[in-house]
Amino acid sequence: MSIMEYNGGSVIAMVGKGCVAIGSDLRLGNQALTVATNFEKVFPVTDRIYLGMSGLATDVATLREQFRFRVNMYQIKEERDIEPEAFAHLVSSTLYERRFGPYFIEPVIGGLWKTQGGEYKPYIAAADLIGCLNFAKDFVVAGTASEKLFGVAEGLWEPDLEPEDLFETISQTLMNGVDRDAYSGWGAIIHIVTPDKVVTRTLKGRMD
Amino acid sequence: MECSFALTGKGYVLIAADTTAARSIVKMKADEDKIKSLGPHLLMAYSGEPGDTVQFAEYVERNIRLYQIRNLYPLRPASAASWVRRALADSLRSRSPYSVNLLLGGYDTATHAPSLYWIDYLGTQAEVPFACHGYGSYFALSLLDRYHDPEASLEEGLATLRRCIDEVAKRLVVAPGKYKVKVVDKDGVREIEL
Amino acid sequence: MATASTYAPVGFDFSNQVRNQFLQEKGLPLPKATSTGTTIVGCLFKDGIVLGADTRATEGPIVADKNCEKIHYLTDSIRCCGAGTAADTEFTTALISSNMALHELSTGRKPRVVTAMTMLKQMLFRYQGQVGAALVLGGVDATGPHLFTIAPHGSTDKLPYVTMGSGSLAAMAVFESGWKAGMTREEALSLVTDAICAGIFNDLGSGSNVDACVITAGHTDMLRNFVRPNERVAKEQRYLFRRGTTAWKKESVRDLIVSEEVRPIGGAGAEAMDTS
Repeated sequence: MSIMEYNGGSVIAMVGKGCVAIGSDLRLGNQALTVATNFEKVFPVTDRIYLGMSGLATDVATLREQFRFRVNMYQIKEERDIEPEAFAHLVSSTLYERRFGPYFIEPVIGGLWKTQGGEYKPYIAAADLIGCLNFAKDFVVAGTASEKLFGVAEGLWEPDLEPEDLFETISQTLMNGVDRDAYSGWGAIIHIVTPDKVVTRTLKGRMD
Repeated sequence: MECSFALTGKGYVLIAADTTAARSIVKMKADEDKIKSLGPHLLMAYSGEPGDTVQFAEYVERNIRLYQIRNLYPLRPASAASWVRRALADSLRSRSPYSVNLLLGGYDTATHAPSLYWIDYLGTQAEVPFACHGYGSYFALSLLDRYHDPEASLEEGLATLRRCIDEVAKRLVVAPGKYKVKVVDKDGVREIEL
Repeated sequence: MATASTYAPVGFDFSNQVRNQFLQEKGLPLPKATSTGTTIVGCLFKDGIVLGADTRATEGPIVADKNCEKIHYLTDSIRCCGAGTAADTEFTTALISSNMALHELSTGRKPRVVTAMTMLKQMLFRYQGQVGAALVLGGVDATGPHLFTIAPHGSTDKLPYVTMGSGSLAAMAVFESGWKAGMTREEALSLVTDAICAGIFNDLGSGSNVDACVITAGHTDMLRNFVRPNERVAKEQRYLFRRGTTAWKKESVRDLIVSEEVRPIGGAGAEAMDTS
């Protein structure tokens, strides 16, 4: 068993039409023992950026604190919100700095970026544990169920889904993916980020 | 072997920890108190590497107390848990990390809500309705899944806790003999005889 | 504490080392990073250099990215293809690109390919192969076109045609049979495409599309997705779920539109303040 599987858990993000969705399962385990079933792995960074982290839970908490600090400092200095792309590079370089003693997490970023014209475009990205960014145009996954999620998402995702349709697609992908993973599951949470609101839904999932 | 349990109920958190102090295969002491009160409304049960446990618990206790002296009000449970987690996570990156597992129960006097935090030696933290550490968790968690009620009265909570302790006594080969039980609610912390 | 300042010292941070060692001793093996099991090539022709790369990034047996970019920008007329640990190629080339820009500003001259090559090999040698970047460096400068390979330990080769990565054997086979001195741009580009395609179709670590980059004196053409031999056909069926398929327990909505209503108090009848 690798350190990445110690606590279990999976994260996914998908692009829709003018929106993104990002979600995670809710399990926190200690190897095969489930400790908590309310452990969210996706956190708000700004109004329109969410960061999901899967991997070692202690590092999830530590990095969550660190990114909150760094984003707040950015906000104070720049007097504006950080954009998703800048945030992705912040995450990437924070992880690469620890190239030879890494944090055991794989981040997934989902957000909307503001164009010059003032409209919002979807943005997703993921990285490995040493910060190699992967900018995808469709979906990104991470965690113990990532292999399964890759497969299901590849089949279910299609371009230009409306927020409500994207919710169904990402929910079904996540739920069916984690159902085939012993270390993920026990419910899930999904955030759908649109230009004017963020809808957060806690899903009813299998509890086994 | 060491076991600790905790559960929340209506307006309280119950914490129980065994009272054995063991060294290798020898039982050195049978009435060790492994639950510290960190403040007027905060309890912490600790277990793990002998030596580390008391050292770390006292370090936490003094620092939480220092905060209260400096600010004239105590840290709320969520903040205290966050601070303790950070202390453990930082310690893990040092040359001699503390190997301590914690259950942190508190009653927030501002929101009138009880809260319970599960923290392990890696600095993993989770807010949970009930929690265990040690081999007892393999038996007790399933019982708590079945019998835990967040709206239970103190008597009902104690009955559930007794179920856990009895089950562990019955089925665990290396079950500890005695437990100390403490409760934290709006009136503060106090010990309860089972 | 680790987060006391935003201004961290430069270079790698080893503060997790002790802990990770400890976790490893507990019997938890350290995980692997994304690697680009790759085909990257470079080839000299009459007027310059053609670089080529596939676009697959792998994580063990999983394809992590189907269309990643492996030809990295160093300067306007120097590019670098990366194979090996993906994060290492990404950050090493970014660092050298930045240093090349500074070098250009301080010398006031167009930087040379050998400068980039020396910077890269010195950095890689310093890390004794721990920074796992295998590179193909190509570009045109005042002294003409140059093509190098740089291995992770810092050794370099200067050759008229080079390949690297897990698909290097397949690609080299194509070069060996097809390369000749003094090729035209079209001949070189098609040879590079063939070499990358050999990697894409014969090496499991390489796949998807062909990226190419043609560098001549005074002009660089970055041909992203130059050939796409593995285009996915349109799905025949849609798997749209009827809205309401997924059962959920709780919903919360965070409204991001801040609405503000200005209600003047005092009304029209109120007298303006006397400011005279």
